Amino acid sequence: MLGLTTLAALPLGNMLFIIIAFLLLMLILKKVAYGPLTKILDERADKISSDIDGAESARQEAEQLASQRQSELAETRQNATKVVADAKASAQKQSDSLIAAATDRAASINQQAQTDAQKLKEDAISGAKDDVAALSVAIASKLMQKELSLNDQQALIDAYISDLETK
Amino acid sequence: MDDPMATFEFLGLTFDWTTIISTLLAMAIVVIVSVVLTRNLSVKPNKRQNVIEYLLDFTNGIVGGQLSKKQARQFGLFAFTLFFFIIVSNEMGLLLQIKLGDGVTYIKSPTANPIVTMTLAIMSLMVAHGMGVQELGFKGYIKNMFFTPYSWMLPLNIIEQLANFLTLSLRLFGNIFAGEMLLTLVANSLAWPGHFNGLWSVLSLPIEMVWQGFSLFIGAIQAYVFVILTGVFISQLSGNE
Repeated sequence: MLGLTTLAALPLGNMLFIIIAFLLLMLILKKVAYGPLTKILDERADKISSDIDGAESARQEAEQLASQRQSELAETRQNATKVVADAKASAQKQSDSLIAAATDRAASINQQAQTDAQKLKEDAISGAKDDVAALSVAIASKLMQKELSLNDQQALIDAYISDLETK
Repeated sequence: MDDPMATFEFLGLTFDWTTIISTLLAMAIVVIVSVVLTRNLSVKPNKRQNVIEYLLDFTNGIVGGQLSKKQARQFGLFAFTLFFFIIVSNEMGLLLQIKLGDGVTYIKSPTANPIVTMTLAIMSLMVAHGMGVQELGFKGYIKNMFFTPYSWMLPLNIIEQLANFLTLSLRLFGNIFAGEMLLTLVANSLAWPGHFNGLWSVLSLPIEMVWQGFSLFIGAIQAYVFVILTGVFISQLSGNE
């Protein structure tokens, strides 16, 4: 059997050779592959963890920005509502004052018109009174076939009236 | 299967050409593959880097699953080299066996030789014992190895240590040797000089292919098992069962 004969014939030389060769192989692999690869893997692990941290902080920043935007938006909306409300209120006020002014004006015009009308009426009435007096006199003189001078008869008229009052 | 061997003497020691050439070839393949795969390393890996990173991740995973972080870091390079070398050695003989006119097979799987696997096992166990001493101190290491859990278990523990060595080395050797032997048998039947030549040839080819595939699988498994058992021994000898 190969195993036993080999075992008996040449163990030591081969063993030494293999051990030395293996140690050399380990050394070469460390230089060529294991060392650089481990370094790269560590670097990558560091990079990944730092990237994760960076992503976390970026996410927080983004969230903060978003909430800031949100509050700004709400504020702006509120402002806009307020502006609209203000505009509405001031327009209302303006229209109210305009209406009040118009009402006042209308009232004053009305008043003026009434006063004018009253005055005209009074004028007309007093005019008419004079006319009626003159007319009565004219009618009376016509009736008496005599021209009665108003001024001539004034004393007589007054006498009548006072006579009436005493009666 | 007692093939002739080509040997030479050097400094009073006997060396075997087959073992030396095969081992050197396997190691050369390991080095060449590593060098090719680690061209232009970068944090963002390219295709070639991915392959060797996967391999390193694999061995680091074996090691990291069993050992403390500090020990895993120490053992990482050894595990990587061991796994890489054993898997290349195991598969090498499936693709390439060179037998010259003098009947000596100069190139085959180095791990099909018990001396090679025993040497690997000795190195593994030396690493394991060394790390045990480092972890527990010499007294604690002796106590952990021989008198745990009870001191009367000393004989059993001694046997266990010997058995560790034998199982580690002979499992690998047996698997690879048997695989190669069967492969050689089937291959030889391809060139059978007898009267059933045609039929044998037709039959042998699929058998050879199937067996090669299976041996590839076995070779990978055995490399994995060897590294994982080394990790187990380190873990045991460092006192964490």
